[in-house]
Amino acid sequence: MHALDKKLLRDFKRLWGQSLAIALVLACGVMILLTAFGMYRALDDTLEAFYERNEFADVWAATEKAPRPLLREIAALDGVQRAEARVQEYLMLDLPGRVKSATGLALSLPDNGALPGLNVPLLRSGRLPDPQATDEVLVTEPFAQANGFVLGDTFDALLSGQKRSLKITGTALSPEFVYAIGPGTLMPDDTSFGVMWLPQAMLASAFDMSGAFNSVSLSLTRGANEPQVIDALDDLLAPYGGTGAHGRDQQASNAFIATEIKQLKNMATILPPVFFGISAFLVNMVIGRIIALERGEIGLLKALGYTDLHIAAHYVLLAGLTALLGIVIGWITGGMSARWMAAEYAQYFKFPYLIFNVSYDAYAISGFLALLTAAIGALRSAMAAATLPPAVAMSPPAPPRFKRSLFDRLLAALRLSQPSMMIWRSLFRWPLRAAMSAVGLSLAVAIMISVGFFSYSINAVSDIAFDQSNREDTVLLFAKERSLSALEDVRKLPGVEEVEGELYTPVKLRNGWREKQLSIITRGEGATLARSIDEVGHVVEANGSGLLITTRVAEVLGLRPGDQVEVEFMTGRRETYWLTVSGITEQFLGLGAYMSREAMARLTRTEPQISVANVSLDPRQDMAFNTAIKEVPMISGAVRVTDMKASFAATVDENISIMNGLFSIVAILITVGLTYNSARIQLSERARELASLRILGFSNWEVSFVLVGEIMLIAALAQPLGWLIGYGLGELMAASFSSDLYSIPMVLPPAAYARASLVVLATSFVSVMLVRRRIDRLDLVSVMKTRE
Amino acid sequence: MSETIFHTEDLVKTYHTGGTEVRALSGVDLDLYGSELTVLLGPSGSGKSTLLNILGGLDHATSGLVEFRGRDLTLLSDRELTRYRRDHVGFVFQFYNLVPSLTARENVQMVTDIAPNPMRAEEALARVGMSDRIDHFPAELSGGQQQRVAIARAIAKRPEVLLCDEPTGALDSSTGVQVLEAIRDINEDLGTTAIVITHNAAIQGMAHRVVHFQDGNISTVSTNDTRLAPSQIEW
Repeated sequence: MHALDKKLLRDFKRLWGQSLAIALVLACGVMILLTAFGMYRALDDTLEAFYERNEFADVWAATEKAPRPLLREIAALDGVQRAEARVQEYLMLDLPGRVKSATGLALSLPDNGALPGLNVPLLRSGRLPDPQATDEVLVTEPFAQANGFVLGDTFDALLSGQKRSLKITGTALSPEFVYAIGPGTLMPDDTSFGVMWLPQAMLASAFDMSGAFNSVSLSLTRGANEPQVIDALDDLLAPYGGTGAHGRDQQASNAFIATEIKQLKNMATILPPVFFGISAFLVNMVIGRIIALERGEIGLLKALGYTDLHIAAHYVLLAGLTALLGIVIGWITGGMSARWMAAEYAQYFKFPYLIFNVSYDAYAISGFLALLTAAIGALRSAMAAATLPPAVAMSPPAPPRFKRSLFDRLLAALRLSQPSMMIWRSLFRWPLRAAMSAVGLSLAVAIMISVGFFSYSINAVSDIAFDQSNREDTVLLFAKERSLSALEDVRKLPGVEEVEGELYTPVKLRNGWREKQLSIITRGEGATLARSIDEVGHVVEANGSGLLITTRVAEVLGLRPGDQVEVEFMTGRRETYWLTVSGITEQFLGLGAYMSREAMARLTRTEPQISVANVSLDPRQDMAFNTAIKEVPMISGAVRVTDMKASFAATVDENISIMNGLFSIVAILITVGLTYNSARIQLSERARELASLRILGFSNWEVSFVLVGEIMLIAALAQPLGWLIGYGLGELMAASFSSDLYSIPMVLPPAAYARASLVVLATSFVSVMLVRRRIDRLDLVSVMKTRE
Repeated sequence: MSETIFHTEDLVKTYHTGGTEVRALSGVDLDLYGSELTVLLGPSGSGKSTLLNILGGLDHATSGLVEFRGRDLTLLSDRELTRYRRDHVGFVFQFYNLVPSLTARENVQMVTDIAPNPMRAEEALARVGMSDRIDHFPAELSGGQQQRVAIARAIAKRPEVLLCDEPTGALDSSTGVQVLEAIRDINEDLGTTAIVITHNAAIQGMAHRVVHFQDGNISTVSTNDTRLAPSQIEW
């Protein structure tokens, strides 16, 4: 090994503290890149493979009841490759050993005993039900596992009010239900919701669908025009109660995963550059200082005949070793966290397999970027070292030039102590370095704020969604629209305290070229269980014949109160009306529009109807209520809002505390990297100055004040900028997380800022105090003798 | 008389510091010969270090001619100067300038790694009597020992010229003598042209020739008919 290489290794060893501090920041960048990129690729690859192998459809549509022969016309539409019709119904389930009801989504299997041609369930165990059987069922694997079912087990289901015992013949996974949520719920719950496949004949006879279908899915030919196909399909299905076709973008499971993939992609592109940027700055600062200290050695190397390239390479390699350390740490932790993430995803997304290719390119890219970062950071200093004329390099550097300025007069007028003066002067002597350090620290603050807001936002979401808007305990779903008298039947059920009805009417809202499919929810006047809340927290109702819309709908369609909106009804007489937007309501979960029951009845010229009943319960009669509803034929399902709220809080809390913890660690690493290195450099530059103060009779603590004071001053100055960037970053995150499925409001109380600042300031203080100990050990005599 | 190694004519070097012009060398004419041990004597600020830096290819002259074996150093690019230093010149500095993170042997290897025809590091160290401290770090050596390692490092490449800038400046008399002995031995045993800069008049006795510097120029040049052994020198 060359002597210069030995010097390199020994220098690296001597600088281990500083190198490690930089390496850890760099490792964060590498880790996040690796995790986010790896997971993004894994999800994307897996999804694509599953969709392709199992013929995931491109377009879906539901109708009330369409004759089978219509399928041939649909298949003949321009751009359609394949069309598959089925019967699809929600079933109320009565599972053995479970008081609470569960909901099943029943899909019919083709008569010929084969698998469907589209959205093909992947058989995981057992076999398909016999096409002639009336008591056999294929269920989703997670539903079976969550409820402890094995093949041959049976459970009861209400089919059109008739209780049937169904025997499980097999389990399967479906590309349509990778993320499977039950009707009206927010999160997957495999114990209370499952998808199941039953023979066409049996399902059709139970729901009066013989020779008919109520659900159709299409695959399209390459290059087909999806909106055109959707329009054509809507036209064909309109006479049969079609409720509007949609593409993959509105398919619930796919939309959720797409959102997740988008978030991972954002994470892989937004965050790593922050870490790499900070690392480059740190490397620049540290190598710059080392070169300042080694001027003599650089001159010597030149005198000995080493070339500029040799010398520049020497210092770039020193940075390279730091990068290498960061890369190794980043790769190890990145590999681990990717695996952890994969396990997390497996909880929510039900893939039959996870294509988790170790993406060597992700490793290579992250490693390359880390090396590049270090090289860029070191290059300027290394070039400066290489171009130092040897004779100059051998003589000590001129003392930094301090100039008197207006600022000095201000300092003088303030009658600051000499140590305070030293702090301020140094800040203004190297304003760029101070500013860069402050920006780095502000990013640490910002990163904490940008995830810290989540817990407050989710609380706000939960508060609006459950405590203020949806205050019912249970929502009972009716198989068909009912008249208001159905509420009286519900009221008679055990434990029911209050009951209110709502009607869901699928419509298309249009404002110019902008269009959204959603349901208008119709309520009785003065409803107290399910209500709408405006932006300032007041209860708001749709008045007159007006339409109350949610903030998201208003944004997407560009509507304001008083505007006219075109409403095309997808059911009933399928008429189109122009309605006035009477108000905006704050709603974070899902899209919505609201209308009064009377106005809707007038508009559609029908008796007032309801499709769900919201119920508040006496908690002591919970069991009796749940047992009773399983026997009521008109009820096709029940959504337990109380359970949903609890599981929402639990899931979200867990995820948020993991995120908060992770980003706190990241912020701490950035802070340590910056303050520890800054302090070390300060100390090295000022050793003589500080030793002189000691010799003049200043105490250790008075001298330490100069060092600690400057770093903490920079840290304090970084805070307001950090808050600002944090707010901006938070808004960006909130926007990137928001979709038609849910939106996240930006809620940032002072406590969120305070917490981020506290963590960063405390970490800065600890880091600088670690360096401060060196002042106690300062050898006054030798420091004064050192040439420099 | 042996061949001329260095030849300068009207050599001028001016520095600009803080708006004022400092004339470090004002028209130096000098010839230095092969295998000669020359002492450049003068007070600090008289320009002798500047001359040495220019002769060693560490610095550029402002004007005038400086030739090494008939080759004009002022015409060389930085790259060529690096080559020149690497192949022909050995330096010894007042403050030794050893790399603190390398042992004595490794400090010498820094040179043997890049020189075209070096001696072994161990041999170079043996020549300066440092064989027994070969694996010591600079911090574990006395000033005199460090300077001898520096000399070993300078001679390991078998340079044609050895340029020593105040080699005993930081040393007391007795350790300084050991360093001077090492320089004399190299000059005599290897025939290396040695140029020693000093403000210490006592040292001039060991030289073949003494060049006196004053205010950026040569005041006198004298030749020693009988040279003193370093052991006879004291300050």
